[in-house]
Amino acid sequence: MENYTKYRLKNNDELASVLADKDNLFIIACNKCFKEFETVDEPECAEFEKFAAEQGKTVTGTARVDFLCNKIQTERKLQDLIPEGTENVFVISCGLGIQTVADLAGKPVYAASNSLNYRGYHGMALTQKKCDACAQCYLNITGGVCPIVDCSKSLVNGQCGGAKNGKCEVDSSKDCAWEKIYQRLEKQGRLEEFLQQPVQLRDYSKINFKFVNEYVKAIRAERLEGYYGGVHPLERKEYTEHMALQRFPDPEEVVIPLSMHAGAPANPVVQVGDTVKVGQKIGEAAAFISSPVHSSVSGTVTAIEERGHATRGTCLSVVIKSDGKNTLHESVKPHKSLEELTCDEIVEIVKEAGIVGMGGAGFPTSVKLKPAKPVDTILLNGCECEPLLTADHRVLLEFADDVIYGLQAILKAVGAEKGVIVIEDNKPDAIQLMTEKTADLDNIEVVTAKTKYPQGAEKMLIKRVTGRKVPSGGLPADVGCIVSNISTTKAIADAILTGMPLIERVVTVTGERVKNPGNFIVKIGTNTKDLIEYCGGVTGDDVTIKAGGPMMGFLLTDTNVPIMKGSNGIIAVDTDHTVEQPCIKCGRCMDVCPMELSPLYFAKFADEENWQGMKEKNVMDCIECRCCEYICSSKIPLVTKIKAGKNAVRGMK
Amino acid sequence: MLITQLKPRETIEALTEGKKVFIINCHGCKEVHFPVEEADELQKAWTAQGKVTGILTTDYICNQENMELRLRKHMEEIQAADVVLVFSCGVGVQTIAAYLEEKKVCAACDTCPLPGFQGVTPLEYKCDQCGECYLNLTGGICPITACSKSLVNGQCGGAKNGRCEVDSDMECGWERIYRRLAQIGRLDVLKCPTQVRNFATDDDV
Repeated sequence: MENYTKYRLKNNDELASVLADKDNLFIIACNKCFKEFETVDEPECAEFEKFAAEQGKTVTGTARVDFLCNKIQTERKLQDLIPEGTENVFVISCGLGIQTVADLAGKPVYAASNSLNYRGYHGMALTQKKCDACAQCYLNITGGVCPIVDCSKSLVNGQCGGAKNGKCEVDSSKDCAWEKIYQRLEKQGRLEEFLQQPVQLRDYSKINFKFVNEYVKAIRAERLEGYYGGVHPLERKEYTEHMALQRFPDPEEVVIPLSMHAGAPANPVVQVGDTVKVGQKIGEAAAFISSPVHSSVSGTVTAIEERGHATRGTCLSVVIKSDGKNTLHESVKPHKSLEELTCDEIVEIVKEAGIVGMGGAGFPTSVKLKPAKPVDTILLNGCECEPLLTADHRVLLEFADDVIYGLQAILKAVGAEKGVIVIEDNKPDAIQLMTEKTADLDNIEVVTAKTKYPQGAEKMLIKRVTGRKVPSGGLPADVGCIVSNISTTKAIADAILTGMPLIERVVTVTGERVKNPGNFIVKIGTNTKDLIEYCGGVTGDDVTIKAGGPMMGFLLTDTNVPIMKGSNGIIAVDTDHTVEQPCIKCGRCMDVCPMELSPLYFAKFADEENWQGMKEKNVMDCIECRCCEYICSSKIPLVTKIKAGKNAVRGMK
Repeated sequence: MLITQLKPRETIEALTEGKKVFIINCHGCKEVHFPVEEADELQKAWTAQGKVTGILTTDYICNQENMELRLRKHMEEIQAADVVLVFSCGVGVQTIAAYLEEKKVCAACDTCPLPGFQGVTPLEYKCDQCGECYLNLTGGICPITACSKSLVNGQCGGAKNGRCEVDSDMECGWERIYRRLAQIGRLDVLKCPTQVRNFATDDDV
């Protein structure tokens, strides 16, 4: 593997002369990029510190920073870093890092290193292939061997004639590139074609810095829009976004897990042989953070046993055989109108209806509605930034009034002044509809957000819409916000208007390997396998099936698991067979992490089982959005490693 | 990290005229430029004409091991094609060409240099890897990249109203350097000896 380390210390004579009239130094060293990630600390910082001490200089402190050229992160790290009494800052880094610090430090900044000058490296992996970015690719006429970088003289019209025994006359350790080109073309039978090529002229004016500059600026603006980091995976929502909701045929049997939420599993309140009705409570909340569960069919309880579960392996579940009649339970009846209900009554209805966050996390909504701090803004998360999924999009379109009603209920329950429905700009129909529907409502606003993943994550959404930043380890209520999912909000409306607890939800079944994708209203407890089969099954073998979207979804090795409150989608996609390669410190993970963490360290520390190191790098702040894993050029399964780290850190307490 | 542009339409058409094509798109280095839409449009048209044997859209084809794993699944489609057309930077095309040594592998894109090189994020700074950092003498503003002429001993004198005579969108790098030095009280460094730039690369040294 090639090492593309960027800098080395200037020589001692030069350093001595730069240091001659300076004292009280603070030293900042960059930990380098594009290299094998073996050591955390590079030696240059200590070397220079020692050299400065030998010159009789006072060093006020040192700092080693990753990716010094990442200006936003560096600016944050530099705050309060440079101690009082520092007169000069010395930076050990490539030219990018030095210039970054020079702009930010507010003190004279000096370079203690030179950038290494090599030519022709480009691309991400540490490969030996080079590209000089000549802006007029010659590879088409040379059989894929680059004449610009592989020929010492960068000749584009054939060999110079100086090669001896196939070796370059400029550098005898190098093969003559043009002999390589000849051999390659001969092998492909393309010599004739090559000889008939017109003479090539290299056009040095092709490199348009203005285009490049403007492009880079635009791309950075996109990356930093609203909040730091994030990615733009292919959306692939066209499979299902225009497909109206269909009701999935009633299942003959439902398997209802007693845990479909964060917190303690519910305690069963029915027994085998009991007759149950639609909406009847079959499991009671077992703790403050817990939730009741209800029957989605009428029929007979045939078993209460461990069954397969999409996210937990197995889980105690209530199995009910449907009588096909869908008889409603007596408790299912409309409540008072929103005007008549008190705040506490609304929270109680939500709690009794078993409503939990339906975006996947499953946090009990009633707990959210009793925030410890005053809340002024409710954000409805209509981003659905996960690729492929369109469940919330369809709910917005087909149940707009219910969603608005649910939002009004939340506003009333917590006494917030303003409700904001945030929808990404890839759903213009939903934006238009919601804007029309809320036109007369003073307390509700529709905000269009530019598409970016993971915009639907609570903390990102709050930053994007209100500019407030949830502190590390904090909750949205710490900054006066509550974020609610679209389907959850619709469920709240149902619970108040009809008295129906959460027993069904909208599920998108999609992906390039599903025969007939669609959006379905599905009863909780329906078998995932039946749902996929109803969609015509999957095409071909070697298919990956996930519960949820491609980014944050859970891999389903067995589809014999029930649809749950948080099941927003079932996707069948191509299996990715790539294998993990060593980290090359390209820094892309740090560039995209919306929580501004350093995922590359999580991979390294997880492999070393250095859980303390994970903790110090704030692994607990990770929201597992998978941006780092998505962008990783070495295909390291970062989230798996992060989860292992989180478990270990939790165990440390 | 790369910037790629599609080659002119005629050039690409000439490469594929009357041929069966297998297409490889590299969406690696995501978001630093790949002409997704233009490429997509072109490929859809070809698919409609029935000249495409297969399309593989993947990332980081410069990562050879993973590229090979992905390519292996498409070998039949590749064999059926007269030409493998790669939409990627120059590194990607070379990696594929070396792997499919007996196949005609062509580039559909030209690769442009990023200003500066691959630090993490292409921000506003540039570094030309001159190998003899001048930033000590210039208050941390690079004369190689901030001055159109890469002068290392002061301004050329051609600036008008603080604007570069070569590119009027650009501020004169040396005026910026002067201001920065004045700001940090280090105008004395301008009295340093005359600098001579060494154009040898580290490979040469």
